[in-house]
Amino acid sequence: MANIIEVKHLTYRYQEDDARPALDDVSFNVHAGEWLAIVGHNGSGKSTLAKSLDGLLPFTTGEVTVGGIRLSPETVWQVREKIGMIFQNPDNQFVGATVADDVAFGLENRQIPREEMVPRVTAAIEQVGMTAFTHREPSSLSGGQKQRVALAGIVAIAPDVLILDEATSMLDPQGRRDMLALVRQLRTDRHLTVISITHDIDEAAGADRILVIDDGRLVDEADPATIFAQGERLVKLGLDLPFTAKLKTALRQRGITPPATYQTAAEMEEWLWQSLSNT
Amino acid sequence: MAITFEHVSYTYQAGTPMATSAVTDVSFSVPDHSYLAIIGHTGSGKSTLIQQLNALLKPTSGQITVDNFTITPKTTNAALKPLRQHVGMVFQFPESQLFEETVRQDIAFGPRNFGMGETDAFKLADAMLQTVGLDSSYAERSPFELSGGQMRRVAIAGVLAMRPQVLVLDEPTAGLDPQGRQEMMGLFERLHREQGLSIVLVTHQMEDVAQYAEQVAVMRAGKLVKFGTPHAIFSDADWLQENQLDMPRAAQFAQRLANRGLTWDPLPLTAEQLADQLAARWPQGGDAHV
Repeated sequence: MANIIEVKHLTYRYQEDDARPALDDVSFNVHAGEWLAIVGHNGSGKSTLAKSLDGLLPFTTGEVTVGGIRLSPETVWQVREKIGMIFQNPDNQFVGATVADDVAFGLENRQIPREEMVPRVTAAIEQVGMTAFTHREPSSLSGGQKQRVALAGIVAIAPDVLILDEATSMLDPQGRRDMLALVRQLRTDRHLTVISITHDIDEAAGADRILVIDDGRLVDEADPATIFAQGERLVKLGLDLPFTAKLKTALRQRGITPPATYQTAAEMEEWLWQSLSNT
Repeated sequence: MAITFEHVSYTYQAGTPMATSAVTDVSFSVPDHSYLAIIGHTGSGKSTLIQQLNALLKPTSGQITVDNFTITPKTTNAALKPLRQHVGMVFQFPESQLFEETVRQDIAFGPRNFGMGETDAFKLADAMLQTVGLDSSYAERSPFELSGGQMRRVAIAGVLAMRPQVLVLDEPTAGLDPQGRQEMMGLFERLHREQGLSIVLVTHQMEDVAQYAEQVAVMRAGKLVKFGTPHAIFSDADWLQENQLDMPRAAQFAQRLANRGLTWDPLPLTAEQLADQLAARWPQGGDAHV
């Protein structure tokens, strides 16, 4: 698979004299079309990493290439054309007086002519299921609805990469599920590459690949099943334990030895059923 | 004693054309030293309900009793000081309310405001800092150079410094990472168990309801639609689905095994409870407990 993003030896310090860099020699690739989760505890550097990809933080050491364009002060606007970002707190990212104005903002910035802009805005709002709210004030919406509007703003611009920076962490469980379902659908419909920075085990479980950041360094990179097999260490890395891992720990404490590899809920259900039926 | 709601209704902007009913005819009672969870969707009236516990909102009709305090529509503000000491409120993202120069001053602000001398208030602040799991090196630091999770602990220490008997928590773990969430919920559990604090927890986390709560109140469209133990609430799968409420993970998992023919008594709500029942029926007698 082709790489849409290549990161080489990225190092970043918030202050020049910081003894410990926020990002320390991080290298990785993002494949076009994949869903990549980046996990790490609060303060691990994962949000710093996301902001570096978009040129929001001017790193001095290392190299970031997005869609074949090497990120530099000269190319930063070209790179931003390719990346849409959604942040944790939806209230910090609204500029328009109505949902439609807000979704149009990115297109206006790109000087898209009005006759093209209006249908794109309408289509984007429809795609996220917010048509009924087109003329509402963003501040009157729920958290989940606000994040949908933020997604519509990105759909309208049609970037190649969507970065979710803990974008579901302030939503209730239903809002979180709806949002992730919507992102999955957009990914298929629009051939998006998705990078999600998250603590949510379900969000991470849906990824093709997980990168683990700890103290500014990339410490692990594998598929979810391999990462989830690490058991209690996951909590230190900023993830919750998958339910099956919790259940396995509780079973071991009761003298039952389940398989050591990660199992999905369905796999573990099957294993338990077989074990209990073998009497 | 304890907490009692009797036919409590609350209407925003009552008596105007803008009147909006947020809570309608809610009645329930929990005993002293209990751990109550309030669940329900965004906008179901949970926050309006809990703000009446220390009369930030006074009921439009009905009556609330919290230990020796009674709150009615006619309660005057003059009578509220002891109530507000008795019922501590931790709002969502409480760290946004920090303002003092040092952590110690911020925690001591409440007690000082209630007439405590500086020396005593600072001593109390240092003790509360320890209670929330931060060592004394934090006392002299600015609250604004701490991490989000640490700031939240400082804000909670400030509420605890008022020595409340009832602690009301509105989604206290929102935005924390899983380890931070675990530590925070562990702190409240300790305060409940060791110091006998009554806890009222507003949450969307069904795992926390299953693990910690003794009573659960379910709100929908301003009404109390169900009240009972976690087991009573989570046993009715159809009802939960109708109300779009999640079951705890362990209960969902147990339900899948039930669909294959296993029976549970009662339905397990946590991984520990599930493992107990699985071990009891495990082949080889399940006698291999460690």
